[in-house]
Amino acid sequence: MTTLSKKKKHEGLITGPSFFWLLIFFIIPTLIVFAIAFKPATPFGGIGEGWTLGTLFDLRNPNYPAIIWRTVWLSLVSTVVCLLLAVPCGYCIARAPKRLRDVLLLLVIVPFWTNFLIRIFAWKVLLHPEGMLKQALVFLHLCSPDATLLYNPFTVLLVIIYTYLPFAILPVYAAAEKFDYSLIEAARDLGASQFRAFTRIFLPGISRGVWTALLMVFIPALGSYVIPDIVGGPGSEMIGNKIAQRTFVDRNLPHASALSALLTLAVMVPLMITLVNHYRQPVVQRKGKGAAQ
Amino acid sequence: MKRSRIPFFTTLAVLVFFYLPLVILSVNSFNDSRYGGPWNGFTVRWYVRLFQDRQIWHALQNTLIIASTATLVSMVVGTMAAFALNRYRTRLQMVHYGMIYSPLIVPDILMGMSLLLFFVALNVKLGLVTIFLAHVTFCISYVAMVVLSRLQDFDFSLMEAAQDLGAGHWTAFRRVMLPLIMPGIAAGGLLAFTLSLDDFVITFFVSGPGSTTLPIHIYSMMKHGAPAVINALSVILLLVTFVLVSASRTMREKIQ
Amino acid sequence: MSDFLVFEGVSKHYGDIRAVDSVSFSVNKGEIFSLLGPSGCGKTTLLRCCAGFEDPDAGRIILDGRDITGLPPHERKVNTVFQNYALFPHLTIRENIAFGPRMARWTKGEIDKEVSRMLELIQMEDYAGRKVTEISGGQKQRVAIARALINRPQVLLLDEPLAALDLKLRQRMLVDLDAIHDEVGITFVYVTHDQGEAMGISDRIAAMNRGRIEQIGSPAEIYEAPRSSFVAAFIGDTNFFDGTVTGVLDGSYCRLKIEGFPDVLAWNDKGLQTGNAVHLSLRPEKFKISREKPDEASSLNVVQGTVEDVIYLGSHTKYWVRVDDYRLGVNQQHRHYLLDTRPIIWGETVWLSWFADDSCMLERYKAEDENLLVLPDMEEESVPE
Repeated sequence: MTTLSKKKKHEGLITGPSFFWLLIFFIIPTLIVFAIAFKPATPFGGIGEGWTLGTLFDLRNPNYPAIIWRTVWLSLVSTVVCLLLAVPCGYCIARAPKRLRDVLLLLVIVPFWTNFLIRIFAWKVLLHPEGMLKQALVFLHLCSPDATLLYNPFTVLLVIIYTYLPFAILPVYAAAEKFDYSLIEAARDLGASQFRAFTRIFLPGISRGVWTALLMVFIPALGSYVIPDIVGGPGSEMIGNKIAQRTFVDRNLPHASALSALLTLAVMVPLMITLVNHYRQPVVQRKGKGAAQ
Repeated sequence: MKRSRIPFFTTLAVLVFFYLPLVILSVNSFNDSRYGGPWNGFTVRWYVRLFQDRQIWHALQNTLIIASTATLVSMVVGTMAAFALNRYRTRLQMVHYGMIYSPLIVPDILMGMSLLLFFVALNVKLGLVTIFLAHVTFCISYVAMVVLSRLQDFDFSLMEAAQDLGAGHWTAFRRVMLPLIMPGIAAGGLLAFTLSLDDFVITFFVSGPGSTTLPIHIYSMMKHGAPAVINALSVILLLVTFVLVSASRTMREKIQ
Repeated sequence: MSDFLVFEGVSKHYGDIRAVDSVSFSVNKGEIFSLLGPSGCGKTTLLRCCAGFEDPDAGRIILDGRDITGLPPHERKVNTVFQNYALFPHLTIRENIAFGPRMARWTKGEIDKEVSRMLELIQMEDYAGRKVTEISGGQKQRVAIARALINRPQVLLLDEPLAALDLKLRQRMLVDLDAIHDEVGITFVYVTHDQGEAMGISDRIAAMNRGRIEQIGSPAEIYEAPRSSFVAAFIGDTNFFDGTVTGVLDGSYCRLKIEGFPDVLAWNDKGLQTGNAVHLSLRPEKFKISREKPDEASSLNVVQGTVEDVIYLGSHTKYWVRVDDYRLGVNQQHRHYLLDTRPIIWGETVWLSWFADDSCMLERYKAEDENLLVLPDMEEESVPE
């Protein structure tokens, strides 16, 4: 009997620290978010006594549908664009000769490791009303001197794509690198056009990488906060901005909780799907710098 | 068979897209004009001002304290978690895996928000300690995942071989498994360290007065003027990143 | 000395699967003893029980008079050569070989001396400082053997040691292994699914199937006198007949009735009586094939059939001959210059003959074992048990 209980003891011993740490600092705080969503706010920025549905009813505020809708479309469009760019890039890097591949990979990984505030700020510099790009465009008569390149939803979209594209390229590359390219030759031999060989053979072959790329862009994009905050204007706020605004400006924590709970639920669906998919063969996700390391 | 050139040109365009803003930023850091408009002549005064800014040095100090302590703790806890996940296939480990995995995918803002509420509910004073706790929380998951992938490649017959040759459990672990897993633990630690250095969103939610880290300082500089100094700081951070990434890649090639 | 390594009623279950089912046998000191069987037959589990990586659910393992069941691996005077070598990738060749002695806390001088002696034995003195990744598969194999042997084990366990090598190298290593065995004189227990390896190197073979030992014997005994349909079909090629004894003759022969054949004579070593049912195994090379009817001789069986398929293989030709419901495999050696003769071809009517002594009565017969004959080379061992 001792071997079994000894095994259990050992399992408990090495599982315990991470289990309890994440229970205390991840699971319980997440539950607290849901709980506080049902609490009233006090005028002094605290959390009131008792329970209420009032906070949830506040979400019917006419501003919110527009912000939620903007958050969703910005995330969807940036995900689609990232995938459209990541697939050819991943393919190109995977098929490049060894030395070129190493260089290309390094060039993709460096932005990946660079502080993302700086990467966002670089766009602010580039698109600044007195910045070089604007002046070049005006000089070429491609835009009027009054046009603003910054502070609109399209700038936010552009910068979201810029920020998360490396996270899409790397998993696609990892899958493309393992793909057996004689399958494409076989498909061409059997009469498939280049395009059909690509869509019918290559894409299904790297589907796992594409799926990972999709999540790596879509989920963080849903939670974007810094990007619209820095390059977006009042007309390009996303849910993340509202959460931060309710927390830091209005100091209405129940309201911020209700919004966070909403976002958590939105994220839960793709999260559960990946968990089920990945339990057998875990890979490092999202920032996934481990995969690139 | 002719290969399509579309992927090549897309990649080229993407690389230009990646680096154009960074190049302009770097050029501007030497531009003697506050808003980086037209070229006003070469200067290094932004760099000089950067090095004279005491707040930056203070923020850097905070950042390094948090990053190094959070890395150490998360390396120990994360490595143990990876061993547990790799070794056991129980119901507990399925739940454990879910707990390790979720922080990787939940958006930062949700993690920051929930931790803020947690600390507020418990009346914990926000500061370096809360930032440390938050950073360990997300770093554990990254370390665990990196070590786990290394463990999955580990050939357990090596442990049997060591025991067969007279090593006890502990000796086999110390002499065979640990040296082979160590690069994975180091990679996990490096990842945790960088993520902790870089993190803005979560830190922003759980930081208090006097606990400004470098990313928070950069953010406030971005919000309230001083763009030219940020340019200079960015160039330095870019260089550090580039050197670190190339060094870790060549190191890895040497090991293999 | 016999009974050097004894397995007594050893069983091992994984859930509902009986990997090893109450197995008993003993290995003599100094011999090469092979456990031969298809993948999943339990041979590797037995070996792992002996090494201490698995604990049997029941039974005992006794080495040199001492019960070693339940001892941890590092307390057994037994060493293993692993299937994938399991060389430590972070150590050099020399450090790999020195690992065991270091664990046993030999003195430095002793370790150096012995490691050098081992490097010499495996002819790899020049590679001592290299990393494991810098040597070839055959060299890894030799290092794995040296790493195990340096500990002077009482028994060396080899788990499919040649499975990862290609054919030519496998033959070369087999010769080397035999030479090393002659040199060190240690008892080898050799696990393999390859009958050629087992036949070539073993003093004795235990043929295993479904967690049980079907037969133990010298390679020739196993081949010539298989006791069960499994052994007959798994080791080499054969033909099965089923019939009934119609009469017992003098000199331990009997007469059989086999559907579609004239009366067949067979050596009756099992002491069967008239009316008993019997299964026979007859190896393809025991047949003689000819156009003309062979001369009558006592104890010679003769039957007529039609050639259905012919495969010319250089040293011999393989024929498939139809006799009533039977499709018999026949191997004909070419002892003379073939181009001077008119070979038997497809569709010809031929005579097959064999001596009564050349067939073998089976104690156990299972119809499913005939599947082993249909696809003789499909049983590649790919999944370790």
